[in-house]
Amino acid sequence: MSEGRRKVVIVPCSGIGKTYGTVSREAAYEVTEDLRPADTQLVALSLLVLGDEDARAAVADNPAVTIDGCKLACATRMVEESGGAVAQDFAVLDAYRRHRQFKPQGIAELNEGGQKLAHALAEEVAAVVDNLRHGGKDA
Amino acid sequence: MPEFLELTVDKFTFRTAADRYYNSEGVWALAEVSPLPLGEGTGVRVRIGLSDFLQQRSGDVAFAEVTSEGTVLAFGDEVAVIETIKAEVSLPSPVAGEVVEVNPAMETAPEVINQDPYGEGWLAVIEAEDWEADRARLLDAQAYFLVMKQEAEEEARRL
Repeated sequence: MSEGRRKVVIVPCSGIGKTYGTVSREAAYEVTEDLRPADTQLVALSLLVLGDEDARAAVADNPAVTIDGCKLACATRMVEESGGAVAQDFAVLDAYRRHRQFKPQGIAELNEGGQKLAHALAEEVAAVVDNLRHGGKDA
Repeated sequence: MPEFLELTVDKFTFRTAADRYYNSEGVWALAEVSPLPLGEGTGVRVRIGLSDFLQQRSGDVAFAEVTSEGTVLAFGDEVAVIETIKAEVSLPSPVAGEVVEVNPAMETAPEVINQDPYGEGWLAVIEAEDWEADRARLLDAQAYFLVMKQEAEEEARRL
C-alpha cells in the first residue's frame, strides 16, 4: 500500500448500554486495531455529533464505513450530515441475521456469542476495507 | 386501510387499528369473513399479528418463528416466538383453531413486523374453531387502546 493513500474511516454506533452498540464498537476496534490498522482510522460518532473539526475532516476526506447498532442508523446519518460519503453501511442486526449462531448478550462485557458476532462483523468490514483500498471505487 | 387510534407518549406514537380485536398481550385478530352466529363458529379464518405498541416495545425483530401450518392451537397457546434486539417474545394465539397459512415473509424478512405491523407484517391465518367464543374473550380496539395506554404511560414513568 502506498503512502499518502486515503484511509478508510470506521464509524461505529455510540449507543452506550446497548448490546448491539457494544458489538458495533468491538467490531470497529478489531478492524482498526488488529485486522487493518494501517488502512483504517476510527472516528467516534460523538465527535461528529459535537462537530469536532478533525473528525469532520476525516469523514469528509476519506471513504467511510459505518456500523450501526439499530435502525436509527445514527452513524450513517452523522457521517452524511458531516459531509462524508458512506461507502458501506453495516447494521449489527443484519450481521446477526447472517450469523444466527452468535447470539449477542451483555453490555459492558459481551458474551461469547457477542464476541464471535463482533469478530464475524469485523471480518466483513475488513473485506470492504480491502475492496476500497485495493480496487474499490473509492480506493 | 384501517382507521387508527393514536397515542403519543414522550417521543413515541403508537397506533391501534380500529378494525380488529386484541388479546391483552397485544396480538391482534382480524376475521376475514363474517363470523357465523354465536354457537356456529366454524369456517371463520382469522389473520393475526402484532400491535404497533407490541412491536415497538419489543424492538427490531431479528427472527420470527411461527407455528407451522396444520398445527391446532388452543386459545392462548404459543403461536409464534419473535427474537428481537431486546428479548425473545412468546406470542399467545388470540384464537383457537388450525394454522392454515404462515406469512412467508417471517422466514425471509421478519423486519416487516416492525415496518407494517397491521399489514404486510401479519404472522398467520388460523381457521377458527369458534370465533364468537374467542372474540368474546378478546378486547376491542377501544379497550385495547386503554390497556396499551396504561402500559405505555407506566413504562414512560419508569424510564
